[in-house]
Amino acid sequence: MSETKDIRIITRPTKEQIRQAQIDFAPRCTAAGRVNDKETQKMVQYILNFARKHSLFLLAYGTGCGAIEIPATLTSRYDAERLGIRGAATPRQADVLMITGYLSTKTLKRVIRVYEQMQDPKYVVAFGSCTINGGMYFDSYNTIKALDRYIPVDVYIAGCMPRPEAVLKGFAKLQELIQNGNAGNGECYRKNLDWYRANQQKVIKNWDFPDEYNW
Amino acid sequence: MGIIYVLGILIIGALAAFFVDDLNRKWTGPVAMLAGFGAAAAFAFLPGGIVRWRILGFSMHWETDALAGFFAWIVLGLSALALMYSVKYMEGKARQGYFYASFLTSVAGMFGVAVSKDLLSFFIFWEIMTWTSFLLAIYNAYYGVETKGIKYIIFSAIGAYAMLTAIVLALGQYHSLEFSDLMAAGAFRFSSGNWYIPVLLLLGFAVKAAVLPLHVWAPAVYPKTPMSFTAVFSGAMSKMGILGMLLILTGIFRSATGWELTLVRWVLGWLGGLTAAWATLQAIRQNDAKDLLAWSSVAQLGYIVTAVSTGTRLGLMAALYLALLHAAFKGSLFMVAGAVEKQAGTTDFRRISGLIKRMPWTFLTALIAIISLAGIPPLGGFVGKWLLYESLISETHAYFLVILIFFASTSAFLYSYRFLFGLFLGQEEEEAKQITEVSWWMLIPMLALSAVSVVTGMYPGLIFRPAARALESIGLPAGQWDMSILSNVWGNQTDVFTVGSTVGILFVLWALFITFKGKKNTRWLTTKEISTSGEIPAPEDNFTFQRGFFQPFERAVGRLYRSSMDQLWEDIGAALEAFFGFIRKIYTGNAQTYAMYVIIFVVLLILFRNYIF
Amino acid sequence: MTGNWLIELTGIVLTALLAFTVGMFYGGLRRKVIARAQNRVGPPVYQNFLDLLKLQGKTTNVTHGLMTHLAPVWVLVAAITALLFIPVLHGGLWFPNFTFKGDLIFLLYLMVMGSLGMALGVGETGNPNGAIGVSRGLSLITGYEIPFVLSLVAIMIQFHTTSLTDLMHYQQATGHWIARENPFAFLAALFSVLGMFHYSPFDIIGAPAELASGPMSEFGGKYLGSLMTGGSIFAFVKLVLITDLFLGGAGHPDAYTGAAGVLLGLVELVIKTFLLYMIPVSIGIVMPRFRTEQAVRFFWRWPLLFGALGIIWAVFWK
Repeated sequence: MSETKDIRIITRPTKEQIRQAQIDFAPRCTAAGRVNDKETQKMVQYILNFARKHSLFLLAYGTGCGAIEIPATLTSRYDAERLGIRGAATPRQADVLMITGYLSTKTLKRVIRVYEQMQDPKYVVAFGSCTINGGMYFDSYNTIKALDRYIPVDVYIAGCMPRPEAVLKGFAKLQELIQNGNAGNGECYRKNLDWYRANQQKVIKNWDFPDEYNW
Repeated sequence: MGIIYVLGILIIGALAAFFVDDLNRKWTGPVAMLAGFGAAAAFAFLPGGIVRWRILGFSMHWETDALAGFFAWIVLGLSALALMYSVKYMEGKARQGYFYASFLTSVAGMFGVAVSKDLLSFFIFWEIMTWTSFLLAIYNAYYGVETKGIKYIIFSAIGAYAMLTAIVLALGQYHSLEFSDLMAAGAFRFSSGNWYIPVLLLLGFAVKAAVLPLHVWAPAVYPKTPMSFTAVFSGAMSKMGILGMLLILTGIFRSATGWELTLVRWVLGWLGGLTAAWATLQAIRQNDAKDLLAWSSVAQLGYIVTAVSTGTRLGLMAALYLALLHAAFKGSLFMVAGAVEKQAGTTDFRRISGLIKRMPWTFLTALIAIISLAGIPPLGGFVGKWLLYESLISETHAYFLVILIFFASTSAFLYSYRFLFGLFLGQEEEEAKQITEVSWWMLIPMLALSAVSVVTGMYPGLIFRPAARALESIGLPAGQWDMSILSNVWGNQTDVFTVGSTVGILFVLWALFITFKGKKNTRWLTTKEISTSGEIPAPEDNFTFQRGFFQPFERAVGRLYRSSMDQLWEDIGAALEAFFGFIRKIYTGNAQTYAMYVIIFVVLLILFRNYIF
Repeated sequence: MTGNWLIELTGIVLTALLAFTVGMFYGGLRRKVIARAQNRVGPPVYQNFLDLLKLQGKTTNVTHGLMTHLAPVWVLVAAITALLFIPVLHGGLWFPNFTFKGDLIFLLYLMVMGSLGMALGVGETGNPNGAIGVSRGLSLITGYEIPFVLSLVAIMIQFHTTSLTDLMHYQQATGHWIARENPFAFLAALFSVLGMFHYSPFDIIGAPAELASGPMSEFGGKYLGSLMTGGSIFAFVKLVLITDLFLGGAGHPDAYTGAAGVLLGLVELVIKTFLLYMIPVSIGIVMPRFRTEQAVRFFWRWPLLFGALGIIWAVFWK
């Protein structure tokens, strides 16, 4: 047996490092932290949110292994269409971006561009534990470990992979957030663009995004 | 007297342009433009009158009646605008004196054709018009472009010799060459026993009007001629063939019944329909804007020929209306192609695209002209199409011909879109960043011609009145025409003014709605920022779809595309050449064979002298 | 005179609202029918309204240029103008419009105006998927317009009129539907309607996975909402056109007058158009997709034959 050269020694982080990491990587845009920044009439907002929650266009973009559960959710047995959910072909038409599982850094670059091409209000639903803490690929050099450092996330659905019932429950939670005006972090993303860009550029090596943000 | 002034201004302008070019190249264009506008002004403001004179025993008769006036306006109006366009288009090119001299002489020829009332002056002006346009067709050979002038000359010669034969025969038979005399004597009727006279004349006109199968010169010659002349070439000169057909067929139309009319409707109508369909199919395959426009001209002329062949009130009005509208929109389209060529260096769709932001006025002109060409309400081209369909359905009952015309018209949407998309829409090339809009000298004529389409869309009566008078002047019934309402023989109407105003008002309302709803948060992107599955295109990437644009349609049409009329003519030419090569063997070069020929000839003469003499 | 103008305007607005409402409900009904055919529940019938509200309520919108910005306007204008020239109810009492001022040939060309305007907007987006979709769509138009025009010419020559009102009047007066008088023309028109709706097997234009939805790939937010509105109105226009031409139209002003008459007429219209609509929908549920050249060639075979037979029938009918 050859000598083992690359032994990764995983040391425990100190309390100081943990506290600093929590401050550094605290997600800027979350559902809980969002304030309804539009002070328009309540009735109009209510009706619009009602329409938004009952008409979700999912971008047909399966980024990881969780995409296998999407056709099952949309077809006859679990029928997501009764909630008004249907597929959309391009980010220009879509409301919801689903990150279905692990994200390699290569896919992350495309996901960021796709997310920025969508129109507000836009929602991100993250499937699986890979988006929460790296999941099965926690020690891979190539995947990201916490999704909301790179794009804001509205709803996490735990599992590996979440079954269609879990997916439906996740969408029901998204609907609840939409109705209360707590979903849709596009504007927050634009406000905190520097922070997000710094995180993105740390992991994406071949960065060739144009400088101005105008998708 | 106005006729003399018009012709005089044009000829003097031609000579002046030719000689001024040697003095200072910058003045040639303006001098020619002045001559063009001067001629148009002279025609507008001076009374036309009649000119009769005798030369060498032949009498010439030129007159500006309503029909002559209609076509003369098409010629002079379009030429004046084309000359104004040409000032900047031809700037910096060589041999401008030659160009403008030929141009103005050609215009003089066309004007002469329009006002001629006897066959001889008609033929003389026809030939002047043809050989000057040949000189212009080969102009670009100076710049190394492979011009196909020889094709044009051969086909024009076929037509010209046919016409000359007919003239000589008519003179021999009827001892007069005046149109009125010949029509009164029934020279142009098939039943009079001299059927070859109208047939030969129609052959000559069919060449100029690019009717199948004599159309092959047009797509070869129109793209290679300088665009400012092609506007006149395709817009006005082809209409001279239409004018000729109208004059010849009047006698048959006045009879309104009988086998001659049916023959004309079947033969000429179907030829026109087949021309339209065939040329449309060919236009769809083209990858260069100029070739596309050339084939499109042939197709539109097919509609006009079918309209002429009907001989009914609606059909003839459709023919005259379409003739004028075609001159307007095709003229402006060729000017657009010239503008793009001047600014971008090429009109090949595969090499440039996305010019809408660089040349917005040119795009506007092209848009209006294309909508009019496609026959979409509320612009002017629709009225002509409406009249044509109504006449085919309700007056001549040519049901399957109307389907063919409709197929051609629907397929025309394809190349209409391709012209706009190929040049103006899609993504830009990196090198196209320094392209600017053309100068106002070129824009004003284009916009003026677009205005014609727009105005006649709501007020077609502006053209109906002069056209009706033109038809009446040759004795064809024209009837009542309303300013904005089109009606057919069954009493059904279309009120284009209502249509136009409805569309206009709705358009403005919805445009305002969509602009002001959410105006602050509408982001205006460039064509490079498209949703390309998350990829970021490099600046030099150009994703415009240009190659095989209509591959599905070409596949659907399939086998038709493998035939080629051009190939047929090439084969005929090769066969003739082989035949001539065989006959050449008579010249053996041997004096004894020649002596034998003479002896045989004398013997035959003696033997058969009773039968020959 | 001003009173008359106000009544006309109200009538126009009412007609547009009727077309919009019915069209959107039909869209939702279609999704429900498809769902039931696939043994699932499906969205509620008012789902299209929610989609429209959501799209119009998008807080940012994206456009690529003036033509793209105006593309939905073209579609809407074409749809509403076509609607105004088709008699919704016979007699046009509560839905007055310009039916006497335009005839069938005009309608044929008007219906293409929307597609061309949309095609221009799609071209300006710069997305090659859109351009491919447009080329397929235009090729498909040459396919299905031919049998449609054959069928229209057949009934035009059979009844010596190009006016839609006259044809409806004939059907009301004699009580015979033109579908029975010239069945070949009706068949040819039905085939064309299949093509016009762009449902399977002729939905190659906007194939979501193959072509990223083709022409609609760069439209979102208020633009997609307006396109949806225009599409619904246009669907209603097509259905009412075929109903008026072949199925006798709706409304019997001689038999029933007043509000009850209008209501009964509307009910009859909804029944007839819904049954007609179910034909493309149900064919669309079960069929796969044709390639473009297969679709065009299909229209140039049997539907063309039926149209030609329709013309021959019309000529010898007397």
